[in-house]
Formats: sequence, C-alpha cells, structure tokens
Amino acid sequence: MSVDLANYVALSGVMFFVGVAGVIVRRNPLIMLMAIELMFNAANLALVAFARAWVANAGHVFVFLVITVAAAEAAIGLAIVVAVFRRAKNVDVDEVASMHG
Amino acid sequence: MIAFYALAVVLIASAIFTVTQKSPVYSVVGLLVNFITLAALYFTLDAEFLGVIQIVVYSGAILMLFVFVIALLSSGIGPFSEGPNRLPRIALPALLATLASFGFLAFGLLHAPLAPIPAHASASTLGAVGNANVFGSVGDFGVALFTVQLLPFEVTAFVLMVAVIGVVLIAGDAAPQQTLGTHPAKRRARERESIVKVLK
Amino acid sequence: MTNETALYALWLLPLAGAIALWAFGPALKRGAGWLGSAVVLVSFVLAAALFGAVTGGPGGVHAPLVTWTAGFAFGLQLDPLSLLWTLIITGVGGLIHVYAIGYMWSDRAIARFFAYLNFFVFAMLTLVLSDNVVGLLVGWGLVGLASYFLIGFWFYKPSAVAAARKAFVINVFGDLGIMYAVFALYAATGSIAFADVFAKAGTLSSGLVVAICVGLFIGAAAKSAQVPLHTWLPDAMEGPTPVSALIHAATMVTAGVYLVARFAPLFSSSPAAQEMVAVVGGLTMVTGAVLGVAQWDIKRILAYSTMSQIGYMIMGVGVGAYQAGVLHFFTHAFFKAQLFLGAGIIIHALHDEQDVRKMGGLYFRMKFAFWAMLLGTLAICGFPFFSGFYSKDAIVYGALEHGHPVLFLAGVLTAGLTAYYMFRMLFVTFFGPYRGEVPDEMLGIAPQAQPAHEEEHGSHAPAWLMQAPVAILMVPTVVAGYVLWGGAASPWYRYFGSTFAAGENGPLAAPLVPEWASTLLVLALVTAGIVVAYLRYGAPAARADAVARLGREAAGMPVALRRAFWVDDLLAALFVRPLQAFGELIARTLDPHVIDAGVRDFAWLAGALGAIFRRLQTGLVRGYALTIVIGAAGFIAYFALLGGAK
Repeated sequence: MSVDLANYVALSGVMFFVGVAGVIVRRNPLIMLMAIELMFNAANLALVAFARAWVANAGHVFVFLVITVAAAEAAIGLAIVVAVFRRAKNVDVDEVASMHG
Repeated sequence: MIAFYALAVVLIASAIFTVTQKSPVYSVVGLLVNFITLAALYFTLDAEFLGVIQIVVYSGAILMLFVFVIALLSSGIGPFSEGPNRLPRIALPALLATLASFGFLAFGLLHAPLAPIPAHASASTLGAVGNANVFGSVGDFGVALFTVQLLPFEVTAFVLMVAVIGVVLIAGDAAPQQTLGTHPAKRRARERESIVKVLK
Repeated sequence: MTNETALYALWLLPLAGAIALWAFGPALKRGAGWLGSAVVLVSFVLAAALFGAVTGGPGGVHAPLVTWTAGFAFGLQLDPLSLLWTLIITGVGGLIHVYAIGYMWSDRAIARFFAYLNFFVFAMLTLVLSDNVVGLLVGWGLVGLASYFLIGFWFYKPSAVAAARKAFVINVFGDLGIMYAVFALYAATGSIAFADVFAKAGTLSSGLVVAICVGLFIGAAAKSAQVPLHTWLPDAMEGPTPVSALIHAATMVTAGVYLVARFAPLFSSSPAAQEMVAVVGGLTMVTGAVLGVAQWDIKRILAYSTMSQIGYMIMGVGVGAYQAGVLHFFTHAFFKAQLFLGAGIIIHALHDEQDVRKMGGLYFRMKFAFWAMLLGTLAICGFPFFSGFYSKDAIVYGALEHGHPVLFLAGVLTAGLTAYYMFRMLFVTFFGPYRGEVPDEMLGIAPQAQPAHEEEHGSHAPAWLMQAPVAILMVPTVVAGYVLWGGAASPWYRYFGSTFAAGENGPLAAPLVPEWASTLLVLALVTAGIVVAYLRYGAPAARADAVARLGREAAGMPVALRRAFWVDDLLAALFVRPLQAFGELIARTLDPHVIDAGVRDFAWLAGALGAIFRRLQTGLVRGYALTIVIGAAGFIAYFALLGGAK
C-alpha cells in the first residue's frame, strides 16, 4: 500500500499550523522566527510531494527558491532582532508596541 | 510506508517541542531534529539533492545563525527574561483558528481527487543524459536550474545580495548605542563619552 | 429693425439696464440715474413706434421666445391691451425715472435705486407682454420682488423693512391663488398660451371656470390692494416717493386690473365670478375713500385714494365694462403720478416732512407744486373737462348699464367722498398759516423717533429735474380723457377694436337713468364734497383757527377710522401671530432636540465606532498575526468548500 499524496499534504498542514500557533502564542522573538522557519519547511514538504507525484522537477527548483528566501529572511529578521533588543531590558515582542492606536 | 509514518511522528513531535520550549537553545535543538527528519522525508520522495541541501543550508547555516544570535543577545543579561503578557488569553483563539484552518484543509483533501504517488518515478522529462536522467538527482536538478529555470536562479542571487546588505545596515556598528527608550540627552552624553574614549 | 426685434429690445433693455447698474452702479454714482432713465425712455420710443403695427392688423405683434414642449411655448405679444400698459409703464415710468434723479440726488445708494427701478420695469413688462399664463406668473412674482426691494430701500429704517415684508407676504399669498389657477388652466386645456386657453375656454365646466377665476382674482386682489388684502399699501408708502408714484399708483397695483382684463373671456363666461370681482371692487372703492378721510400723512392720503380708484377700475372690469375700467387705469396713471410727484416736491422741499398738519400756507412758497396738485386733484375728483371725469363717469354709468344699481350708487357716493378728502388735503397743505414750527402736541401728533436717512449734504439737484416731469404730466392729466369722445366710434373704442368682443357683455336694454342724469348726479356730489371741504378747511374762518381745529380733529378721530377698521389687527391675530408662535415652538423644541440632536448623535456615533475599532490597534505583533491567520482560515475555507479556482 503506497502513501497517498493527501497524506503528505496533511502532514505538511499539521506542521504548518504548529508553526502558526507558535508565532501567535510565544513572545520570544527568536522562537517566533523559528516557528516561521517551521512554516517554510512545511510548504517545502508539500512542494516536494507534489513534484514527486507529477514528476516535475520545477517543484524542486521552487523549493530551492524557498530555501534561499527563507535564509535571507531569517538573516534579516535576526539582524532586526539584534538591532532592536541589543540593550533592551526584556527580550519580549510585546514590549515593541509603539504602533498602538 | 512505515517509514513515512515513523518520520511523520518524529516530525510533528519535534515541531511541537520547538514551539513549546522556554529556552531558545532547546528550541534550536528541536528544530535541528525537525530539519533532519524533513531531509529524510525528502529522500523517501526521491528528492536526493534537496535533501542534502536541506541539511547543509538549513541545519548547517541557518540554525547556526540562530545559535549565534542567541549567544549575542544573552551576553550580559542572563537567561532571557520576558515582560508581562499583554495578550494573556490569546491561546484559545489561536488554537481555534488553527484547528479551523486545518479542518478546512482536511475537508478539502478528503473531497479532492489526489492521485496516489506513482510507484516508480519515470525518467525526467528534459531528455538529459546519464545521471541527469534520474528524477531528483543532482544532474537533473542542475540541468533544470541552469536552463529552464535560469531566471529564478538569478533572482535568488539577487535576493541573497540584498539580504547581506540589509543585515550589515541593520545590525552593523554604524548604529551606535541606539536603544529603546533612551533619553536623547543621555544618548548625546554617551556619544560624547565614546568620542572622548576614542581620542584618549 | 423688424417689429419682433423691437419688441425683444424694448422688453430686454430695462433688464440690461438693471444688470449694468447692479454691476457698475457704485462707479457711476449719479450717472446711474441718467442711464436708468435713458433705458426706459428708449423702451418707450420703441413701444410708441410699434403703435401702428399693433393697431394695423389683428393679433398685433408676436415675438416667440422659447418652446419647451408642446403646449409650453413662451413668447411676447403686443396687442392693444398690452401696448397700452407698456406705453404707460415705459412712458410714465421714464418720466418718474427722470424725476427720481432729482429726488434721490443726495442719497448715497442712488445707483442701487435705479437698478431696482429698472428691474421693476423689466418685471412689469414681462407681466404684460407675455403671451402665456406662465410668463405672466413669472412677471407677477418678479414685480412683487421688485416692490419688496423698493419699499425697503432705506433698509436701516425698521418701519420700512416691516412694510416691505408685509407687502411681500401678502403678495405671495395672492400668488398662491393665481398659481393654482394657472395649474388648473394648463391641466384643463393642455397649453399655456393665451390664444389656446381662450379658444378652449368654452369647453371648461362652469365650476372649473369659477374656481380658476377665484384663484386669479385672489392674486389680483393681493397685488391691487383690494379688501381684505389691502393693508400693505398704506405701509408701502415707506418707500421713496418715486417708488410710490411708479409702483404703488401707476403700474404695479394695476396689475390686477390687467389680469382681469386679459382673462376677460373667462370672467365673462362666469357671472358668479364677475359678481365677486365687482363687489370686491366696489367695497374697496368705498373703504378706501372712507379711510382716506382720516389720514394725516400726505402719502397715506394718496395711498388710500389709490386703493379707492383701483376699486373703481376693478369694479369696472368686474361688471363687464372693460373699456371703461381700462380707461380709468389710463387716466389714473397720469393724475396719480402727478399727485405723487407733486407731493414729493413738497416733501423734498420741507426736508422729509410728510404730515399735512405741519404744512400750511405753501401756496405762497410753492406755486408750481400747488398748480400740479390742483390739476391732479381736479382730475381725480372727476371734475368736468378733466381726464378723470370721463373715465369715472364711464365706470359708474357702466355699472348701472350692466345691471348693478347698488354699485352705481356706491360709485357716486365715493366720488363725493373722494372730492372731500382730496380737497381737504389741498386746503390743509396749501392754505392757512404755515404750521411747521407749531409744537406737535398742539396738532395732536404723537411723538415718534425716526432715524434720518443718510444724505450727502452739499449739492442740490437742479430744480428742473423734478419739475419737468410734473409739468409734462400736467397735459395728459387734463386731456387724456378726451379719447373717449365720440361714443362707440371714439378713438378709445376703435383702438381696442375687438379685444374685448369675446368678453364684453352688452349693456342692458334700458338702464334706469339716462347718462346725462348720472353725470349730473356725480357732479352734484362732487360739488358737495368740495364745498364741505372748503367750509371745514378752506374758509377764512377755518384757516385762521387751523391749529386748534386740526388738533381737535386729530384728537376726536373715531377709533374705527384710526385703526383702519381693524383689518390689520384681524390679519395679525388670525395669521401672523399664530405662525410666529408656531415658529418659536419649533425653535424651542424641534430644533435643539431633534435636528441638532441628530447631528450631534451622528458625530457621537462616529466617535464611538472609532473607539471600538481603536481597541484593535494594540501595536502587538501577535495580535496582528492572529488576524492574519483568521483571514487565512477564511481563504482556506473558500477554496476547500467552494472549490476555489475550479
């Protein structure tokens, strides 16, 4: 019995939503960024599964692109975290709320 | 097939572990396990090149980036401290939203005619030679990347360059002692101090 | 220049004058007077030039304007009736314009005055030149507006403002009547042009015709100051004397007469309507004369006499004697203008003194004014060989001929009263000692404060500006009535030709008394009136004792006369005060609690909504992330449940 494509997509979905919940619930910016990485990887998994199902290596190229962008985003996100929280008292995203209405 | 389910369990467990740990270092470890498991899954899907890339780039580079930043931030402070929780009861709505989304996704999946994965991946469709004929191999991927998908390749190069410049600008030394909530007068006094220190 | 072009020109020139004066008046200063007068006199020349065209063939001169849709065509027409009115408006109007240059010489707002006067002439011409009921209605309204402007010209006098408002409101009330009549006419006949309406007049039900005539006459009564809508006319004397002469004597107040004459086919087909018109006219005629006896302000005496004379005219057209009624309009325009302008000369010379009790002995100082007033007075009394004699006798006898003996007697009696109070005015003003220096209480004058109207002191108007028009008017005052010589073949009847053929009811076969008897009766009463006036005011004994006599008369004036039969008070109690109370009630309750509250609450609502939505702007990243996730859930739901792009 082979594994259905749907299984892979469901797995990808679960991982994705774990990441989402992580972003919302956690207040440490580093852990938030890690949760975002989880989301990226969930998308990658879905892409690879589809590429295998349809025998299209365009999906692989797309994954390559996603990895690159995720890397860039992680770098810049971490740079921002460093810049903002260098001398802060608390490493807490809730403290950076100066855009409140 | 059993490989799939085993790997799936590990994947999700490590994901939840990553998200729920108090210390970021534990979270990094969880994330590492997650990435490696993911690479294994890629191998089961015949995406050999991507699996290797996943290990090398993600767990080898990006995670190291996280570790360095943790080290940077925690120097001089001690364990990460957090202020008061401004949205204390957000867990429930978040949970509901994610469960609802997943529910919709599952519903869609159940009603969508997704084909089973073919047992044997046929040769790649590009008509390449030798190793490049195997689906998911390095040759196959390389041929695609440098011919058909050349544009995305160039764009990624550009993106990476922008990222590097951005990081240098944002987090570099050019921004001296900008802190949260420092009074401008105090800031100017500190700048004068640092200039005096340099001249000494 | 074709006839149509001349007609357009003569109609539009006063408007052009008004606009030019409104725009450039302050720069022109006194030049405004010359421009205004020139415009009106040119219109007069054009109208006179068209005389031949009008009397030459049937239909006169017709100049179409705009056709909006079928049955809704605007245009101008010049037939004998409208030509007569046009000549009077522009001719007498032009003379009054010239007079006003002198009268308003030292007034600061002289340009505005002439702009308004030109505007009035344009409005009145619109009224009489329209060939359709809607154009007439437009002119009707504009004339009321012009009257408001001119009565309240010295707007810093509260009494003037109140008088202007009163005139306008009463006029608007009349406008309602005429408006509904116009609506009914259009609905019934499907066209607004006079030609079409009168052609179809025979097909309308008699009830509808009566209703339309009543509506029309309500308008006429308001505009022509018929009882009970007459209360605005005496107060309208607050305006400058040229205004009183032009609008409230010669032209605007005769618009009602024009209306009834124009709609003769309608009125003549309804005996009930005619009866109403005749009776109201007769009632006004008598009331005006009775009240005129009790007046002390020279302009108010003339105002009530105007009311009374217009009552004559209305009565004339009401009984069906259209030619007679219109003839009286013709002669009245001349001698009433004469009287007002002469009174203006006196008022101007005495520096705005208008109370005859403070005059006296002016015969020696102002001979020219005396002769002017004398000629006018003789004309208005219907003294033989003066113009008024012919027209008044024609009306009075016409009433008898058309079967209204009571109205005939009323007309005769009023003639006597008219003679009495007009000669009273003459004697008190011009004879006896000069009473300008006598203290007011001795003469029975109540003290009152009036702000003096603004004048530049310095130059005085050349005397000929005010005297020449009066002198010119003396001629028609005497001879205008002679157009009636020759009975049915007279110039007057030949001029009108068949204009009133559709409308005029033939005289009864056998009137009660022959014409010469009626003339003698009138003459007798007129003489009696003059004699009584002489004995009371003009005789040497009366003159010597003038101050005491006048004081006694003023003190002993019956209340009914002093309060003008309480008509003003009645109207105030019935209409004015309830409406004012209603307005105050609304201002106290509806305005602050409903209208203001609505606006306030709307503003409050905006703020409250903002406060609610402001709570979403927490500034916290996690909250925004949750919002994004909820949106994403929506997207997923859409694609999962509804098949999305499939």
